[in-house]
Amino acid sequence: MPENSAFGARVTDGGGADHDGSLAGGPRRVLVALYGTFALAAGARAGVQLATQFSEAPVAYLLSAFAAVVYIVATAGLLRGGRRGRLTALTAITVELIGVLAVGTFSLLDRAAFPDATVWSVYGKGYGFVPLALPVLGLLLLRQQADDVGWSTPPDHG
Amino acid sequence: MEGAPENDGHARPPLPGVRPVTTPLVIAISIVAVALALLGLAATLASRRIGLVHLVGAAVLEVVLLAQAAVAVLTLTRGYRPAELATFLAYLAGVLLVPIAGALLARTEPSRWAGTVIAVAGVVVAIMSWRLLQLWEAVRA
Repeated sequence: MPENSAFGARVTDGGGADHDGSLAGGPRRVLVALYGTFALAAGARAGVQLATQFSEAPVAYLLSAFAAVVYIVATAGLLRGGRRGRLTALTAITVELIGVLAVGTFSLLDRAAFPDATVWSVYGKGYGFVPLALPVLGLLLLRQQADDVGWSTPPDHG
Repeated sequence: MEGAPENDGHARPPLPGVRPVTTPLVIAISIVAVALALLGLAATLASRRIGLVHLVGAAVLEVVLLAQAAVAVLTLTRGYRPAELATFLAYLAGVLLVPIAGALLARTEPSRWAGTVIAVAGVVVAIMSWRLLQLWEAVRA
């Protein structure tokens, strides 16, 4: 197979389940790239905020740090794969979805409580709403993968 | 120089003759980054793995980013200070990791999604370089 041909070798499989029956490698790796980016971005942002301006907006900055931790855990779970990795990612991404919806709503209702932006303020508007799209994509992928390998899908709460 | 009166509200005006992270440089970075992203998406759409062209693209992007970082650090050592120095440095160092991480993640991905991984890295670099420009030009009033 011409591994290093200029435009890449053709693949026949768009990404089925891994050998261990865990998540498909391809789309999951795209999510790893996205979550890794946000882990880096949110982590760096929280680090700077907590180190230099913590007293200005402690709630917002602690939320930034919390978001960073959630992204890091989700990245690790997706990267690891397998049953445990899937469960880790599922938990983290669920928390992420609740977080972005809750923080997004509160930041609109009570602007005074959020004097400075977090990743999740206004549903992630400062980041092109990617923080809102990411957990939806993540949950869709995890759900689809669960169906693919015949795992029981967690009850759908809508 | 040191005792010059401040008449434009800038505590530290940019040094004349040395302008790193300038708009033309950021445009050049963006063009390489977006081209890399399009090539990556093309590979995914064509059901192909990434090839040499993607790795070379990521390498070119990294070289341009390193050049930008070198000139930025040089200017910082000469006294220029953007308002949010810590954030600027975080972006300056962070953006260097993106093409490398993207290439490593994509290289070991055997499916057609490797191209999408590279595309994500390209888009992230393009966005970060514009934010970097904003941070560079913001001077404490």
